[in-house]
Amino acid sequence: MRAEIKKIEEMMEGAEYVTDPAIATSVHLAMTLRKPLLIEGHAGVGKTEVAKVMARMLETNLIRLQCYEGLDAAQALYEWNYPKQILHIKLEETTDHTLAQKEAAIFSEPFLIRRPLLQAISQDSRPPVLLIDEIDRCDQEFEAFLLEVLAEYQVTIPEIGTVKATVPPYVILTSNRSRELSDALRRRCLYLWIDFPGFDKEVRIVVRKVPGVNERLARQISRFMETLRTVRLSKVPGVAETLDWAQALSSLHADHLDEDLVAETLGCVLKDADDMKRFKRELGSGGLKRFVPVEE
Amino acid sequence: MAAPRDLLTATLHFGRMLRGAGLQPTVSELMDAVRALTMVDLMDRREVYLALRTVLATRVEEFPAFDRCFDAFWKFHAEEGQGLEGLAPSLPTLPPEEEPASAPGAAESKQARVALEAWEETGGEDEEPLEVPGVSAHEVLMDQDFSTFPVEDLDEVARLTVLIARRLARRVSRRRRPTRRAGVLDLRRSIRANMMKGEIIELRRRERRRRKVRLVLLCDVSGSMDLYSRFLLQFLYALQNVFGRVETFTFATRLTRVTDHLKGPSYRLALKRLTEVRDFSGGTRIGDSLQEFNRTWGYLVDRHTIVLLLSDGWDTGEPEVLATEMLALKRRAGRVIWLNPLLGNPSYEPLTRGMAAALPLVDHFAAAHNLASLRDLASHLIIR
Repeated sequence: MRAEIKKIEEMMEGAEYVTDPAIATSVHLAMTLRKPLLIEGHAGVGKTEVAKVMARMLETNLIRLQCYEGLDAAQALYEWNYPKQILHIKLEETTDHTLAQKEAAIFSEPFLIRRPLLQAISQDSRPPVLLIDEIDRCDQEFEAFLLEVLAEYQVTIPEIGTVKATVPPYVILTSNRSRELSDALRRRCLYLWIDFPGFDKEVRIVVRKVPGVNERLARQISRFMETLRTVRLSKVPGVAETLDWAQALSSLHADHLDEDLVAETLGCVLKDADDMKRFKRELGSGGLKRFVPVEE
Repeated sequence: MAAPRDLLTATLHFGRMLRGAGLQPTVSELMDAVRALTMVDLMDRREVYLALRTVLATRVEEFPAFDRCFDAFWKFHAEEGQGLEGLAPSLPTLPPEEEPASAPGAAESKQARVALEAWEETGGEDEEPLEVPGVSAHEVLMDQDFSTFPVEDLDEVARLTVLIARRLARRVSRRRRPTRRAGVLDLRRSIRANMMKGEIIELRRRERRRRKVRLVLLCDVSGSMDLYSRFLLQFLYALQNVFGRVETFTFATRLTRVTDHLKGPSYRLALKRLTEVRDFSGGTRIGDSLQEFNRTWGYLVDRHTIVLLLSDGWDTGEPEVLATEMLALKRRAGRVIWLNPLLGNPSYEPLTRGMAAALPLVDHFAAAHNLASLRDLASHLIIR
């Protein structure tokens, strides 16, 4: 394995992120090729975490743009501080400044609200990590706009001029696949798919993140989750759920799983009434053994 | 693995293999791939694989095809002394696709379904003369498989289909109006509109434009599928004012565009005409038909388009062709829905090779074998 990738793996582990070669390789390439990295995967597998860890690794700022339906350029890029402008005009009414002077005053830096995208490209020190979270939630129009910004890393504000990034930021995009993203955006990005962790990786995550859990319980939890994800559920629990659950079990001072304990703490893992019912039916027919084989 | 100066040649060859398998790497991506390869250990198979996949794949659905190509690619380069020319002939002998591990994601919009499920209670105000006796008989009809109706009842069921569709269409349009929000405050425009007034008096709001969804129907008319195709068509055409445009194709061994046939004044007659365009040469070539569709009619599909494919998945062609074409379709379409009437049978498992190859690339997999399933389908005909 290439030393740089090894190092990234170690740094990610050092930053409390349990990683694997696929993630480390993608992060390595995103940093060296300087291309945006699109991360897809089920909810709660740690997509957003990659950006946070990257920022910690690079000792730089994390700038986050949370996408939602209806997000537009004004909220993502920049906006003039209208209330402040109006107030300023009112206060200036009695002064004898010319119109041009007044205009120049209200369309200047102090009246500009920098939104995440502008922030990300106008950093003058080290390049920040720009996290564009849940890109699938924004509208297609915004996606096209984003594409433009990502291609040039520059923004033109008519009243001020063009802002161009001296060093382009590291860009991480995440998607839960609630909507198909455009091909153009996909082409512009490197791609990483984070699947649910395998058994060993999940054990490592639990042991690392929830100190109160012993190895045996961690293995039982991971085995349980592995089996549970094969049951047809409408909300398949992710790693976040595993950790919540492990945390709950740890605070109950549990050292192994039993049926009562599972029934009491199930709410940490399953968050849908139908899923609960389905699970209880499975548990009724196969017992806990179906989920956690005896040897563990 | 090739020496650095051969890296470019090797990558370009790999790119060609990927194109053959349905991926679409661009030149700039291939250039990035070459750069990526200089940053990894070329003797480490896994690392080369991960690097190339990161750069050249654009969605998880492409991974199986990518893996197949990479296996062939790596095998070729691992055997020393072979020239790069040998790469091209090895293309057609790619190992067959393995069984896909994951079923299609079933996260569907629950709200829409709940709203539509209530159609029966609220739809009582328009009593069109229906010759379906009694409510309970009506219930039975809803769940009965189309193929099990006696021939003399089919007309009646068809009328019921249209009736359900009309009610659904009305519901959809009614549902839209009250939920239309006031929109986000548009300060830019508010300021502009009030320039002359000195104060902000009149607020301007903006609203997001909504586009109507377009439908493309690809209906298998071979053998038993013909009947189901007709009901689906009947249903969707009655719903059609909800959609921006409906394009219809039929296929068995080849693809036929029937949109214009269905435009006639008499719908019933038009449906009968469908039989005339049918070919009886036997067998279904879904992959080939899709290929023809993508090649000739691909421009009809964009991200505001839902593609509905109705077929039992018995493909006599190569499953790789089907997988490749499904991928191409998925890449373009807003949503791909596969309707398989056999799914109405509880013991049915989608194990045919064609079905298995196509399933991972489908957004929604449903039955469409009876009235109830058609009604449920309506809630999936949205692109969020």
